[in-house]
Amino acid sequence: MPMMKRLTLAALGAIALLQGSPSQAQQATEIRLTYSKGQFQPSQVSAPADKPIAFRIKNLDAKAMEFESSSLRVEKVVAAGSEGVVNVRALKPGRYEFYDDFNEKARGALTVE
Amino acid sequence: MRGAIPSGRRQAKALCAIACLFACVNGSARAEDASASDASTWRELETKYIFGFTTGSGIGLEGEKEFTVESLDRFGKRDGSYAATETKYEFEFTPSQFIQIEFGALGSTHNISGVTGLDDRNQAALAGGFAEFRYLAIERTSNNPLSVTLAVEPTVRRIDETSGERVRNFEFETTVNADLELMRNRLYAGFNLLYEPEVTQTVIGDTQREATFGGSAALSLRVVSNVLIGGEVWYLRHYDAANLTSFTGDAVMLGPTLYVQITPKIFMVAAWNTQVWGREIGNPVSLNLAEFQRNRAKLKFAWEF
Repeated sequence: MPMMKRLTLAALGAIALLQGSPSQAQQATEIRLTYSKGQFQPSQVSAPADKPIAFRIKNLDAKAMEFESSSLRVEKVVAAGSEGVVNVRALKPGRYEFYDDFNEKARGALTVE
Repeated sequence: MRGAIPSGRRQAKALCAIACLFACVNGSARAEDASASDASTWRELETKYIFGFTTGSGIGLEGEKEFTVESLDRFGKRDGSYAATETKYEFEFTPSQFIQIEFGALGSTHNISGVTGLDDRNQAALAGGFAEFRYLAIERTSNNPLSVTLAVEPTVRRIDETSGERVRNFEFETTVNADLELMRNRLYAGFNLLYEPEVTQTVIGDTQREATFGGSAALSLRVVSNVLIGGEVWYLRHYDAANLTSFTGDAVMLGPTLYVQITPKIFMVAAWNTQVWGREIGNPVSLNLAEFQRNRAKLKFAWEF
């Protein structure tokens, strides 16, 4: 079906364009978080606007956690005693909450200015 | 129609019972938390499925995958007994922070008896397949409550949605899905704009072109952290041409919606719409039951992983 092929190609092209956009090529602001005793440390972090961000999360607990955020639109499981990196697009100014999806009480927020 | 509505009501009661069960079970567990009624302590919400038939702007989280079973049921024609369902078995994933892709198979059932213009039928069949591509055009931030997603959904069917006859049907649904966070973590408004052209080839070789155009508005209130209730209204116009030149009738559908987050990775959606106004061009009767149904229901279960 040529129509379906064209649509698929258009979708793949759009993904390629977005993932290779100039903002992604910029140097990312790295934010280091540790996860210990069911809490993020630090729980409040900040970053400049219009620059991509890389969260580096070190899970010191004995069980896995899932770094997740609806407003950042990311999720990643970080195994016990290991480190995970979550790349986030360049953001507009605002407050973006994040949490451990496996633990209702573990929460934090990123302020972009 | 008289025969179909009671079965529709039974279905509605069943949907409500299921929904209430989940809400009670989960709500009671969470009620122990002192912050259960404080919206400022609730997690942000994915809005895609909170408005019933109206689709929110959410596209999921990068890396997230989801399997869903969604049943769309239609009940009631002008006479006789009419019940048709179409079930989507769907896989969806979010490869980037702006794109979501879905695809899956369609199953259908038709239970038709004594409806003018339709053959009597009791059947279940594998009806076709579909794919959907969603692009987040405007993203919500803490400073901007509006979010907008553009979506296209090509669908191929071998079973006609309305009659259950063998056909070759190609549909290309195009929608704009917008939503507004009216009160932080509490109250949301959703809006859809729909254009759905389709072409159908019947077994005797006829080709029919048609289109549906319309829009919806919905409100959804988060009553506890994992339950939203609301209502929606749809206005739909039907044309016997893809370019919207041959208008045949329109209808207004109205009804309640429910969303329950059962666990962090499982949720359900239930919705019910009843046609409250409609007209068929050239037929001076109330409601439009030629192109639309008297009632429709939606029940969806989703598992994220």
